[in-house]
Amino acid sequence: MFKNYLKITWRNLLKNKSFTSINIAGLAVGMASAALILFWVQNEVSYDQFHQNKDRLYQMYNRSVFDGKLWCWGTTPKPMMKALKQDYPQVEQAARVKSANFLFTLGDKHLNIDGYFTDPDFLTMFSFPLVKGNPKVALSSMKNIVITEKTAKKLFGNEDAMGKTVKIDSVDFFTVTGVMKDLPNNTDFDFEYLMPWSYWEKINGSEDKNWGNNSVHTFAVLKPGITEAFINSRVKDITRSHSDIKDIDVFMHPATKWRLYSKFENGKIAGGRIDTIKLFSIIAVFILLIACINFMNLSTARSEKRAKEVGIRKVVGASKSSLIGQFLGESIMIALIAGVVALIIIELSLPAFNNLTQKHLFVPFSSPSFWLIVVSFILFTGIVSGSYPALYLSSFAPVKVLKGTFKAANATFSPRKILVVTQFTFAIVLIISTIIVRQQLEYAQNRDTGYKKNNLVYTIMQGNIEKNYSLIRNELITSGAATAVTKTSAPMTEGWSDTWNFTWDGKNEKEKLDFNIFNVDGDFTKTMGLKIVDGRDIDVKTYPSDSVAVLLNQAAVKIMGFKQPIGQILRNGDDKMKVVGVVKDFILQSPYEPVKGMIIQGPKSWFNVVHFKLNEKNTTAENLKLAEAVFKKFNSEYPFEYHFVDEEYSKKFADEQRIGVLASLFAGLTIFISCLGLFGLATYMAQNRIKEIGVRKVLGATVLGVTTMLSKDFLKLVGISFIVATPIAIYFMHDWLQHYSYRVDISVWVFAMAAFLTTLISIITVSFQAVKAALANPVDSLRSE
Amino acid sequence: MIKITNLEKFYRTEEVETIALNKLTMEVNTGEFVAIMGPSGCGKSTLLNILGMLDDPDEGSYVFNGIEVAHFNERKRADLRKHNIGFVFQSFNLIDELTVFENVELPLIYTGVTAAERVKRVEEVLDKMQIMHRRNHYPQQLSGGQQQRVAIARAVVNKPKLILADEPTGNLDSSNGNDVMELLTDLNEQGTTIIMVTHSEHDARYSHRIIRLLDGQTVMENIMV
Repeated sequence: MFKNYLKITWRNLLKNKSFTSINIAGLAVGMASAALILFWVQNEVSYDQFHQNKDRLYQMYNRSVFDGKLWCWGTTPKPMMKALKQDYPQVEQAARVKSANFLFTLGDKHLNIDGYFTDPDFLTMFSFPLVKGNPKVALSSMKNIVITEKTAKKLFGNEDAMGKTVKIDSVDFFTVTGVMKDLPNNTDFDFEYLMPWSYWEKINGSEDKNWGNNSVHTFAVLKPGITEAFINSRVKDITRSHSDIKDIDVFMHPATKWRLYSKFENGKIAGGRIDTIKLFSIIAVFILLIACINFMNLSTARSEKRAKEVGIRKVVGASKSSLIGQFLGESIMIALIAGVVALIIIELSLPAFNNLTQKHLFVPFSSPSFWLIVVSFILFTGIVSGSYPALYLSSFAPVKVLKGTFKAANATFSPRKILVVTQFTFAIVLIISTIIVRQQLEYAQNRDTGYKKNNLVYTIMQGNIEKNYSLIRNELITSGAATAVTKTSAPMTEGWSDTWNFTWDGKNEKEKLDFNIFNVDGDFTKTMGLKIVDGRDIDVKTYPSDSVAVLLNQAAVKIMGFKQPIGQILRNGDDKMKVVGVVKDFILQSPYEPVKGMIIQGPKSWFNVVHFKLNEKNTTAENLKLAEAVFKKFNSEYPFEYHFVDEEYSKKFADEQRIGVLASLFAGLTIFISCLGLFGLATYMAQNRIKEIGVRKVLGATVLGVTTMLSKDFLKLVGISFIVATPIAIYFMHDWLQHYSYRVDISVWVFAMAAFLTTLISIITVSFQAVKAALANPVDSLRSE
Repeated sequence: MIKITNLEKFYRTEEVETIALNKLTMEVNTGEFVAIMGPSGCGKSTLLNILGMLDDPDEGSYVFNGIEVAHFNERKRADLRKHNIGFVFQSFNLIDELTVFENVELPLIYTGVTAAERVKRVEEVLDKMQIMHRRNHYPQQLSGGQQQRVAIARAVVNKPKLILADEPTGNLDSSNGNDVMELLTDLNEQGTTIIMVTHSEHDARYSHRIIRLLDGQTVMENIMV
């Protein structure tokens, strides 16, 4: 029986080539899209779930009220790690992590590499295996370093790195005591080497015992059997009991939730990446469903062709269930072929998809579980897409179909019409969403940054730059490379520091207000092109007392409630600072959020970055060459590495750009698959109505009239889809836009454009067949009577 | 073999109710060859469909081989049908995607006959119908007469006790038509009961008995000599 089914399936597929190719193309594209999304989802879900201790592994979080809201954050004071190990018997291991960037020197090789300072427990807490070295002792002494295989190769080529020495930061020599397997692609940790915490203490002069400085990530592994609720009831007071800070609660965030549940609202987990994962999973299911709907529609549309076969089979003894089996077998076979095509599509499109999603996904061809999933996926697709046609076709009464009185239903609410409406509803929702995502992106991109970012370059201070800063600044100007130079605590595109420690006259002492801290040297406003709206820039040359002066941004003035900000005194502990000017708000962090209050401190503070404005009279290449010579002269051991502020700024839009591209991609695919189905339906409709068309033409109908008549029905369905899709799209996009304080309004023309696009595409799809049918000579169609 | 009593069948549309069979009572004995005649719309095809268990009656009793089958569900009917009844249609009703051999083989597949046995039985019956040389052809490649031979081969391959033929010569010329009637006569002589619906007096003369229907009722029975 099975062989017979297989045979007839195969012959049917070959006989109806256009039907077969539409079905296979639709299903293959649908399966490939869904599979790519599921690969992505699988990768996201697997982040940091490979650590053997993952069920006992936690990150320390703070929780406190400021700016009137309850906030949670994952940076912690440095002494917390030791307190955990000493005072909490439930904690088995603990380690701090702080990022490091050092120049590695080996002979003539100079490489700037990112890594972590951490405590010795790190290597046994996390499952980042060493290929060489003993994880228990690899970080036990201050001048030990553990490097990844990639870094080992960069530094030592094919030689064994173990025991070799490398110069760090041009001052200290480290011995390689461990070579670590390169980090997998599904971890949020990002480092090329680990160096002992004791080295951080050495370069900073002492152990930092300040519980008020939250600047490291602290991780802990609990002893077996300790629950999250129990430990949280214990560690809640850790900061209070070790310092005079009374308003911070501490809790542990489990490793199983790091990646997906990292957003906190009012002190509680409020989702995070899990929301995107859910959304994309829904999209994957829908794309697959739309492809399945194509199959259902085309199969039932050509049911009249299969009806006779059903009748005969029933007459000679086929039961309904054996016919259902036969038709399901057919759809599974088509799904199988589509699955093979989908695998090819996936393999071909993975590089582009990886590029888009910034991942390193691959098809695990050698994994048996992968093939098990493939088989289940194919079976699932085959059964879903074949279910309705199987039930529909197998229910034909043989008496009717064999007598030739059978006519497929053309009811107002036929399932086929509902399926087409479902497809187009989804497609239109995606089109509307795509337009809104792009609008939002453009809106934020066009927002005034508040400073001039073109020709603005920065470099991180390393080696002797800080020592030789005055010389460097002067030579950058005199050489003609730059027109203005300043040093700051952070790049113009990043907020590296914030504090709620400032007070001023009239402040409600109970209220904790958080400000961004930005340290600047002279010429700050000139270099950045910032506008001073009140007072003046910090200028130590003219006003020596300006070393403790501050600037405020407009947002800070508003928060502090100053009517006359100039001359106000701000206090931070024992330090007093005078406000000398107010700058126009500029975007430091998210271009989607309102500008946060900022205190810009004068030269008596710390610096990390040199910014300079390139000379517009020279080409960029000339300027950079001149600048490189200056930096090389005063900081010869370090490579000259620079960043363009406008490029860094545009990275702020990467996520939204990615969402925009993905949304367009999915919208395009959905439209493509839906139109394939529509095309197939139009083909069958034109065939079924060929006699009617013939009669109408004989009676005087025009080609345009017939085309309109044939297209009208489909356009009606698209119209209904639009009506259904609009509120759904509004609901989702309104929700999405709530993530952004600075956002577009959803305007009517978005819907007009979506309606126009969908209608246009559907008309093109349907009218091809309709015109063909209308142009056919009626004599041919009527003669067959 | 067949005993129907007060059989009724109605067709309803929104406005009209048509009576296809009106308290029809008849009997067919094993080994008989019965022709059913009557004008269009008299209910003969409806009767044949009910006899073939493709359709069920609204009222009345249908006893097949001593079993009351009038209200069997679809599964039971399909089961009884595939083991006992063969069908021959005016429009042949072969599956276009299957070869001659495969079309004839189909009933054997549904009754679970082994592959080797199927080959044997299909070849036997094709040989008997003299279309063995066409076994690998598709229906569209055959003449009408040849197609009807294949259809008859398919009807008899399961060795049914009853063959129901619905105007078997309706689409054939007289020479091919006569051949088909000869085949049916041979089958009847070998013991198969045959009930045939026909418009043709000529074909009806091959039968033992003619039942004439009008408005869903028997109006006359002729015994052929």
